Amino acid sequence: MKNIIKGIMYGHREKYWWLTIVVPLVSILSALVVGAVFIWSTGRSPVTAYKLMFGASGLFPGPYWKTHFAEMLLASSMYISTGLAFAIAAKGGLFSIGAEGQFLVGAIVAAYFGYAKPFANLPTVVHLTVIFVMVIIAGGLWGAIAGWLKVKKGIHEVITTIMLNWIATYLIADWLVTGPMKANVATGVSGTPYITKTAKLPIILSGTRLNISIIIIIVVTYLTWFLLYRTTVGFEIRAMGYTLIYNMEAPKAAGVNADIRVVQTMFISGAVAAIGGSFIILGILFQYPPVFEGGYGFDGIAVALIGQNEPLGVFLAGMLIGGLRTGATAVQLAHIPKTFPSIIEGLIVAFIALQELVRYLIVKLVESGKKKPADKNNLTKATNGGTANE
Amino acid sequence: MKALELKGITKQFPNVLANDNITFSIEKGEIFSIVGENGAGKSTLMKIVYGLYTPTSGEIYVFEKKVDMKSPQDAIKLKVGMVHQEFMLIPRFTVAENIVLGDEPHRGPIFDFRRAVREIKELSEKYGLKVNPTDKVANLPVGTQQKVEILKILRRGAEILIFDEPTAVLTPEETEDLFKTLLALKERGKTILFISHKLKEVMTISDRIAVLRRGKLQGIVKKDETNEKELAHMMIGRNVVLEIPKADTKPGPTVLSVENLTVRNHRGLIGLKGVSFDVHSGEIVAIAGVEGNGQTELVNALVGFTRPTRGEITLNGSTMKMVTPYNVRTKGMAYIPEDRKRRGLVLPFKVKENIIMGQHSLYPFSKNGIVNDPAIDKFATKKLDEFDIRPRNIYVKAGNLSGGNQQKVIVARELSMNHNFLLASQPTRGLDIGAMEFVYNHLVEEKKKGIAILLISLELSEVLGLADRILVLYEGEIVGETTPAETNEQELGLMMLGLKRKEGAVK
Repeated sequence: MKNIIKGIMYGHREKYWWLTIVVPLVSILSALVVGAVFIWSTGRSPVTAYKLMFGASGLFPGPYWKTHFAEMLLASSMYISTGLAFAIAAKGGLFSIGAEGQFLVGAIVAAYFGYAKPFANLPTVVHLTVIFVMVIIAGGLWGAIAGWLKVKKGIHEVITTIMLNWIATYLIADWLVTGPMKANVATGVSGTPYITKTAKLPIILSGTRLNISIIIIIVVTYLTWFLLYRTTVGFEIRAMGYTLIYNMEAPKAAGVNADIRVVQTMFISGAVAAIGGSFIILGILFQYPPVFEGGYGFDGIAVALIGQNEPLGVFLAGMLIGGLRTGATAVQLAHIPKTFPSIIEGLIVAFIALQELVRYLIVKLVESGKKKPADKNNLTKATNGGTANE
Repeated sequence: MKALELKGITKQFPNVLANDNITFSIEKGEIFSIVGENGAGKSTLMKIVYGLYTPTSGEIYVFEKKVDMKSPQDAIKLKVGMVHQEFMLIPRFTVAENIVLGDEPHRGPIFDFRRAVREIKELSEKYGLKVNPTDKVANLPVGTQQKVEILKILRRGAEILIFDEPTAVLTPEETEDLFKTLLALKERGKTILFISHKLKEVMTISDRIAVLRRGKLQGIVKKDETNEKELAHMMIGRNVVLEIPKADTKPGPTVLSVENLTVRNHRGLIGLKGVSFDVHSGEIVAIAGVEGNGQTELVNALVGFTRPTRGEITLNGSTMKMVTPYNVRTKGMAYIPEDRKRRGLVLPFKVKENIIMGQHSLYPFSKNGIVNDPAIDKFATKKLDEFDIRPRNIYVKAGNLSGGNQQKVIVARELSMNHNFLLASQPTRGLDIGAMEFVYNHLVEEKKKGIAILLISLELSEVLGLADRILVLYEGEIVGETTPAETNEQELGLMMLGLKRKEGAVK
């Protein structure tokens, strides 16, 4: 038992770097297999269900692919934004579940600057720039509150981000949308007024709703990678995240200003989530409706987990979740409720949560395969393990 | 009757021989102490007796029966119990719940809390260990928590009780209380193995004392036939093969000045009491002392991890008030930490990332906040050669290096920083002779360059070999100031153990 735990704890991270890719794939496949068992146990055909689901997901070419593909990318860009928001914080050792609130803040700010008078007549490029700058500032500040409270008062970010989520939800739904930002009754619109034409994200694929949000999110993904791996700030963020169990002592002792970095990380995380919130207003709804179906922030946590907190991984995981959601309605044709893809999503996350075990089993499998000829290697490995365990 | 007998116990770790052919036996109803410096192999030996490690060779006999212990469960079955340095208690549970955990009294499937409380009451009266079974552990002082630990192993029927440095976390009053408990346990026929490096305590409590040094048993003495001096000599009076280069430099202006510094430790107790001293450029000032006498508190205050309760630290003319490590680093301090895995390195980072940490935001390693990899690689490759860090691979993760090479990475990093004050806190901890020599040479080089060095060390040979001035820290106070020329290992050892004070010119 002790050896199993040791194996899980120390793993062989460096030697088997490809596990970072293989483990999520194994989790996804396992989830699909377990999902198939679910369908089969209710007397329906898993093959038909998966055919319908993936056929309409936009992930694979098929009938009406253009529409599905566009819808998939539209949804994905929002999941990717909240996923990146969680991943950035996680890289810095912060467990931020505030993407939901930051997403809403981004949405309401985008709605306001989309219809507000002084900006309404600007050219599209200028108008959108203004909106995105304001969205980034507002979402970033919303996130930074949690970081600031952690640094100044030592309140754990999980607590503050949850509270900020609810504050954002009710501040927007019960006050802004029904109060100061309410549309003129005479127009017959409920919720906020519609944004002007110049605030709408330009369509890039005619005949569909696909807009530049996917391009923006590709850029954001790249910038996130660049921030984490090519800048000194990212260097410090990662150093802090890696030494979380030691209270970030090593980077602090080396002169990293951890307090400022925590606030900055939360700012960036919040800004990225808020950008996702602006997409739903500027590209899909064009107003902030009286009843807003959220959840993107929480799905973002799943996306980040599947993507192993790596920007590229988060991007791909976001596409997968976006695809599952797009294909959700199609499974009804096989007499399966449209919530079924959520089960798959949940199963993937469950298997990802078991990743240390999956890792351990894969490593064991690989090693038992090549044990005999490599006695010398085993010896050196044992010594390495010894020093690592000290 | 022999309660415990070890025959030729040897434990070989990949890089160290932790125990070398250790043989002794303990009579039933005896308090048997094991003393030795840090890293002498005391803890390893106890972990073998408790089944946490299996010895490379050797035999263990418990109550004159040969045993084969594979886990602590085996040890508990054999009536061997251990009170760990860090308590294994659940803070939110009550005393009674903690004690019965793992072997709960029950009525059917239901946990019988009342019976547990009754049992604990009886047990605590029987052994004179006063605890209230319904108190929450989180609200108890450390001394009482320790009693809970003792009761826990007594309830499992332990006859042989191992205490691993039990006084390290206790206040003097709590220590006295613990000793009363130990004597009471002895009266009831329990056998006690007491591990410590504090000679005074060992002399108070033990019947016989075994001295370990570098994994070897130096001898077993009866308390009545020995004294602290003799023990100290056995424990630390070794001939050092290591040669430390000498460098005579004239001390320059004051770089670091510490004035009346009082610091609390993580338990909220005063760990450092009104300490004052100066460090000049081109001078090595060594703080000698047994571990746990205020060194950690001093280091934490200097580096900015803890705010002092009182007193002032001045570095290069600026007063360090309300500072974080970040502020301190910008004032020209280099720092070799005592715990390299925790405070020195980011273990999952590559060597090249670790070796520039702290300078990463400076030219040429980054421009406008963007990392410049070719420059880092070039620098890291150069430093790996210069400091002989093996393997010569800048992409290896720091966690996969050996201890000595990890330390070299830290030394390489700290010494290439722009600094004029170096805080070296146990820089040779856990290093072999070769790596030690490497560190010594670099410290002397630094001194020649006119850097002010504060060396905190537990090794007397190191202190005597390197320092220009020696300050001895005992129970949070500087009990003496001397120079290597004026003193010797024996005298220093006595001062470190609080047996002798030297009222010198403690600045």
